[in-house]
Amino acid sequence: MTSRERVQLALDHKEPDHVPLDLGASAVTGMQVDTVYQLRQSLQLDPPGTPVKVTEPYQMLGEIKPDLMEALGVDVVGLGKPATMFGFRNEGWKPWTTFEGTPVLVPEGFNTEPDANGDILMYPEGDKSVPPSGRMPKGGFYFDSIVRQPPIDENNLSIQDNLEEFGPIADTDLEHFRREAKRLSTQTDKAVLANFGGTAFGDIALVPAPWLKHPKGIRDIEEWYISTVTRRDHVYKIFERQCEIGIRNLEKIFAAVGNRVTAVFVSGTDFGQQNGPFISLKSYQDLFKPFHREVNSWIHKNTKWKCFIHSCGSVRALLPDFVDAGFDIINPVQCSAAGMAPEELKKEFGDRVTFWGGGVDTQRTLPFGTPEEVRQEVCARLKIFGRSGGYVFNTTHNVQARVPAQNVLAMYETVRKCGQYPL
Amino acid sequence: MTLFEEMQQAIIDGKAPVVKELTEKALREGIKPADIFPNAIIPAMDEVGRRMRDCVYFIPEVLIAARAARAATDILRPLLVGDAEARSVGTVVCCTVKGDLHDIGKNIVSMMLESAGFRIIDLGADVSPEKIVEAVRENNANLVAMSALLTTTMVNMKAVIEALAAAGLRDQVKVMVGGAPVTESWARSIGADGYGKDAPAAVDLARNLAAA
Repeated sequence: MTSRERVQLALDHKEPDHVPLDLGASAVTGMQVDTVYQLRQSLQLDPPGTPVKVTEPYQMLGEIKPDLMEALGVDVVGLGKPATMFGFRNEGWKPWTTFEGTPVLVPEGFNTEPDANGDILMYPEGDKSVPPSGRMPKGGFYFDSIVRQPPIDENNLSIQDNLEEFGPIADTDLEHFRREAKRLSTQTDKAVLANFGGTAFGDIALVPAPWLKHPKGIRDIEEWYISTVTRRDHVYKIFERQCEIGIRNLEKIFAAVGNRVTAVFVSGTDFGQQNGPFISLKSYQDLFKPFHREVNSWIHKNTKWKCFIHSCGSVRALLPDFVDAGFDIINPVQCSAAGMAPEELKKEFGDRVTFWGGGVDTQRTLPFGTPEEVRQEVCARLKIFGRSGGYVFNTTHNVQARVPAQNVLAMYETVRKCGQYPL
Repeated sequence: MTLFEEMQQAIIDGKAPVVKELTEKALREGIKPADIFPNAIIPAMDEVGRRMRDCVYFIPEVLIAARAARAATDILRPLLVGDAEARSVGTVVCCTVKGDLHDIGKNIVSMMLESAGFRIIDLGADVSPEKIVEAVRENNANLVAMSALLTTTMVNMKAVIEALAAAGLRDQVKVMVGGAPVTESWARSIGADGYGKDAPAAVDLARNLAAA
C-alpha cells in the first residue's frame, strides 16, 4: 500500500494497514527548526553542525526532508505557496543561527536587524527600507507580527484596503503549483496536502499581513475582532469579494493541478480559545459559514479534493456547523481545550469528518511529560481516533521548541507500534 | 432609568461615546468620581463577566464593553489621584512574561480588573522579571498578574516568582497566573497564589487575593 492510498482510505473512513502520519505538510502540522535539528541528530541523519532549512520563517518551522520522512514513515507532503509569510520566497539559502545556537539555513530575503533590546526585527519582502513587520523577542523561537495599523477613518472605510492581498493569481504562482503538484505526485508516493491561500476568511494570523510593505484597512488584532461585531457589514463585504476572487483562483488552480492534490487547506482561522469559541455560534453562522460553504461546495462539485479546516482551541460548539459547511477534515483537534475529549469527538463526529491531529498534547504531555507518558497518550489517541479510519496522526499543532528529543522519538515509535490495524 | 443605570447599560452595550457623555454629565451634576465605580462601572463589568461565563458574550463583545468602560475610567482615574476616599481595592502589576508577545488575553484581564476598581500598572508584553520587581516596588503593588501563551515562555513565570522572593517582596504581593497552556497544577507547582482560567475568573481571583 502506498502512502497516498493509505491516506485516501483513511479520508474515505476505511481502515488502511496502519494510521497514516503527517509531519510538515502544512504550516500547522510541522516542527520548529531547533526541534527538527535535535531530531535529525538523534536519528543520526546528519553529522553534528549540519544546518536545517527554515521553510516557514514566521513560526520558524524546519524542513522535513525525504530522509526524515522515510525514517518516521510520513505519508503526506505539502504543496505550499511560493512566498512565505514575510513575502519573500524560499530560495537563495544562507546560514543563520537561532537563539538556541542551532545552525540553520534561511532564504535570502530573510533580512533581519536587532533592535535595542536584542529582539530580532524582520522586514516584508526582506526590504529594510520599510518598517519591520515581524519581531522575535530576544531568546525567543518564533516571530510575531508587528501590527501596523493606519488611522481608521470611519466615514471612508474601503473594502479594497483589506483586499490588497487577495487578487487574481499570478501566472508564476500558477506555474509553481502546476510544477510542484506534478513533481510531488510523480516523484513521491505520498498524499498531497495543498495550501493555495486566499480562502481563509478573517484569519487573525493573516490580518496584520506581515508580507505587505504598507498594509491598509483594519490590521490591528483587537480592532479586527471588534469589527466582526461593530463593522459586521463591512467585514461581510470583504469576505464576499474575497470569496469571489478565491473561487475564481481555484478554477484556474484546478485546471493546473487537477486531482493530483488529495486535500486542500481551506481555512486556518482560529475560532477557539482554551475554554470556548472566540465568537458566538450565531456570528460563525452569519459571517463565516456562508463563505466556507461556498468554497467547499465549489471544491466538492468540481474536484476530488477533501476540504481541510484548522482551528485551535475549543470548537466543539462550532463542529456541527463546520461539518454542515462541507469540511471533511478537522485539525488540530486540541483535546486539552474545553469540550474536546477524544472519545466524545470521535463518537459524535467520527463518521462524518476525518480528525487530522490530536495525537498528543503539545501544551503539556509532549514538552513536559516523560517518554512513558507520551507513549501512553499517543497509543490511547491512536486507538480512539483511528477506529474505522477517518484519522491522520499529527500532534496537536506544530511540535514546539524545547521539546525533549526522547519524547519526540517515543511519539513516533508509538505511532509505528500502536498504529497498526486492527488497532 | 437613573444615570447610573444608564451608564451600566451603555457599558454592557459597548457604547463608548455614550459612556463618555454620561460620565461627563455625572461629574457636572456633582457626583463624586469615586462613586461612579461602585455604582456604574463595577456592576456593569460584572454583568459583562457573567455574560462571558454564560457564553452570551464572546471576545469581540467583551473587548467592546471593556473599551466602553475605559471611556469612563480614562476620565475618572486622573480625578482620583490623591483622593483618600477613593482608595482602590488594590494595585496590580499586569504583564505578559519575557519572550512572549501575545497580549490580547492580558489586555482583557487588565481592562476588566481596572473596571473592577483595581489600579493597573500594565507593563505590556515580553517583560523581564527585573522590570516586574521594579514595578511592584515603585507602585507598592499587592498583586502581580502574569500571562503566557507559549509552552516555551510559561516557564518564565517561575523566574518572576523567584525574583520577587530574592527582592524580599514575595510576602507583599500575591501572584496570579493565566494563559492558554497554564493550568491550576502548573500554578501550584511554581508557587503562584492562584490561577484564572479566563478573564471573569481572574477578576474573582484578584478580589479574593486582595481581600485575603
